[in-house]
Amino acid sequence: MAERLDKHILKNGMVILGESMEHVGSAAFTFLLPSGTSTLPDGCCGAGAVITDWLFRGAGTKSSRELNDALDGLGLHRNSSITSSHISLGAALEASNLANALALYADIILRPSLNAEQFELSNQLAIHNLTALDDNPQQKLMLNLYEQFYPYPLGAPAVGKADELKNLTAERTEAIVKENFYLPQTIFAVAGKYDFGAVCKQLEQLFDAAHSEVDKQITLGQRGRKYTHEQHDGAQVHIGMMTETVTIVSENYYDAMAAVSVLSGGMSSRLFTEVREKRGLCYAVAARYHTLKQFAGISCYAGTTPDKAQETLDVITAEFGRLCEGISEDEMQRAKVGLKSSLIMQSESSSARAAGIASDYYLLGRVRSLEEIKDKLDQTCVDSVAGFLKNNRFEDYTVVTVGPKEVSLGNSEG
Amino acid sequence: MEFEHTTLSNGLTIVGEVNKSAQSAAVGFFVRTGSRDEAAQVSGVTHFLEHMMFKGTDKLTALEVNEAFDRLGAKYNAFTSEENTVYYAAVLPEYLLEATKLWTQLMRPALRDDDFNIEKNVIKEEIAMYRDMPQFDVMDRCRTLHFKDHPCGHTVLGTKESITAMTAEQMRNYFTNRYAPNNMVLACCGNLDFDPLCALAESKCGDWKPSDVERTLSFYAGSKENRREEKANLVREHICLISPAAGMQDDRRFVMSLLAIIVGDYTGSRYFWALVDPAIAETAAMQYESMDGVGVLYSYIRCGGENVSKVTDIIKGIFNDLSAEGVSEDELQKAKNKVLSALTIKCEQPMGRLTNLGFNWVYLKQYRSMAEDIESVKAVTVNDVNALIAEFNPGDFTQLSIGASKEQ
Repeated sequence: MAERLDKHILKNGMVILGESMEHVGSAAFTFLLPSGTSTLPDGCCGAGAVITDWLFRGAGTKSSRELNDALDGLGLHRNSSITSSHISLGAALEASNLANALALYADIILRPSLNAEQFELSNQLAIHNLTALDDNPQQKLMLNLYEQFYPYPLGAPAVGKADELKNLTAERTEAIVKENFYLPQTIFAVAGKYDFGAVCKQLEQLFDAAHSEVDKQITLGQRGRKYTHEQHDGAQVHIGMMTETVTIVSENYYDAMAAVSVLSGGMSSRLFTEVREKRGLCYAVAARYHTLKQFAGISCYAGTTPDKAQETLDVITAEFGRLCEGISEDEMQRAKVGLKSSLIMQSESSSARAAGIASDYYLLGRVRSLEEIKDKLDQTCVDSVAGFLKNNRFEDYTVVTVGPKEVSLGNSEG
Repeated sequence: MEFEHTTLSNGLTIVGEVNKSAQSAAVGFFVRTGSRDEAAQVSGVTHFLEHMMFKGTDKLTALEVNEAFDRLGAKYNAFTSEENTVYYAAVLPEYLLEATKLWTQLMRPALRDDDFNIEKNVIKEEIAMYRDMPQFDVMDRCRTLHFKDHPCGHTVLGTKESITAMTAEQMRNYFTNRYAPNNMVLACCGNLDFDPLCALAESKCGDWKPSDVERTLSFYAGSKENRREEKANLVREHICLISPAAGMQDDRRFVMSLLAIIVGDYTGSRYFWALVDPAIAETAAMQYESMDGVGVLYSYIRCGGENVSKVTDIIKGIFNDLSAEGVSEDELQKAKNKVLSALTIKCEQPMGRLTNLGFNWVYLKQYRSMAEDIESVKAVTVNDVNALIAEFNPGDFTQLSIGASKEQ
């Protein structure tokens, strides 16, 4: 793994990161703008979804049509996402088009037209997408799970709330863009084939805008309910559960990753074996680690027909519990090699690396090299994972179900 | 990149694209069998069999198989379509032979009755899961409506009833006929040595018996029926349109894929500007699928019930304009840029190359490098696209809509 990390800080404080990759013809970049769901003013839940659409409806001197034609003309594969902390705008493209693409993104971020008529369309699309969640119980479930699990407003759903979306105005949303797209806290990352000197020079020119200081403090509220059921007359009961664990800054982070891998890494993992292979309860069952800066959790999803829902939840809960009794040497080896091979394969994808280095910088204030991650994984062992699990038992769960039947959380969780 | 290939005496072909600078390698068995090759009484057997292939051999239990793959850190799985069943693994180069050895073992499975009975439940759960995903449900059922009696209309998953009624014996018979070496391709890509992999295949697969497996090909233009179904728990209207297209053996498949981008890419397409940009539909996309001797253009559109007639009129207008005026030089160029950059990005990983390599051999008995595909895309002209529109008339489609009952 011959990756090289580049770093530069613009005069205004915006961080520029790069990871060059040999043998690729593509470049991928991402802008992390500090405008995630948890940063929104009260009553504006869903504004991020409106903003990510509205930004592309004209910028700089270009109309909506001209802007989109220019982006498509570069063969750009766009991606945008909204997390608790950020709006992420990015793209992957042939490396020779990078400079042209960055110039367009500077317009989109700094000089979006934010036309009021176009706002109405962006807002309507956001409302329609929210409504359409009712036809996608699995996605709806996971959004609800994060919302209940994390202290308010960290898990606020990016798709928004119906009444708050309806009350949003162009003026209010524009004010959010102006305030939240705060360059000193913006992180830019590029990976693949690029010339770092040229990228920095170009970004220094494009993003030299002054910005008054913003002091944003998020006041945390309560976590949501322990159990939420939403009636949905579908074929399956969709079950989501989440329990707290250490964040990425913890010295036990790699132990937690190994534990999740034992639980739900490959097909020999415990959940797949116990829930699907031995009992045939589900087609889809998987657990994953999810971290914010302040909190982290292990979430689990399973979908099953109503008469098997209770048994599915019980078996999954038992497997989470059994993990704390220890893991075998063989399980540990499989977890480590699985995590390492994912890491190396990820290093072949410019998009995955751009997102990875930007996220590292936000969460840790620095970027971990692939070597460092490999070393840390090598240092984890059965004893370190056992020690971690002993001190961080999975006992407290947030559970959400969507489907035709409720489940019971059992005596201890009631 | 170097291309290598060889065929064993029993007909098993091995193809490889060697790229010594890659960080990983990928390997897969491509079996030329899918739901179109099923008799009605065993509907869903191909996909069910794909699950059963992971249940082990006479010497390996299912858990041992999964542990062995996980010990290699393999990213492995399988998928079944109307025409193919593909088993693949992406691994670090040092584990490629071990992963290949595992697959060669699994291609001669035990198909035990006990495993069959437990896995039936998993298949029924998968069927239930897709019923809760109207976007998949509408496409699957529109395909059946479009193809009518043509075998490409057979559903991949089967039905709850067909799965319940199926016996392990029926599956074993299907397996013996379809998983013959002359009906399979072993493909590998990335950082690898081809010769040792061939030697391994020869020693593990050399005694597999060929069969007189067949598939009859025919083109079908589709039923062009239009139906709407109601489902009480839905809140949006889910619309699928299917029109005929060029098949995989047709050189114009590159033209067809550009047409699909022009009409229905997620950004900047005709659907995008007419339906999504003005917020009439929240999703509208078209995809091209080329198959054995036949092809389809799929569209999926999701909107509110109040906008259905508007959407219908707009789509009619889009296809009328296409027929009357064709596409422009500018939109063709944008579509090419999108296709070319997607191709570059996808092919940077061996796993991305594997499916292209395998399918090109399955359908065309041909190796095509990425550079050749790029040239084929670049060579397409506006006249090519317009001629295709005139010949296939994409505005004449089969339509299935699923939505809430109208009284609501």
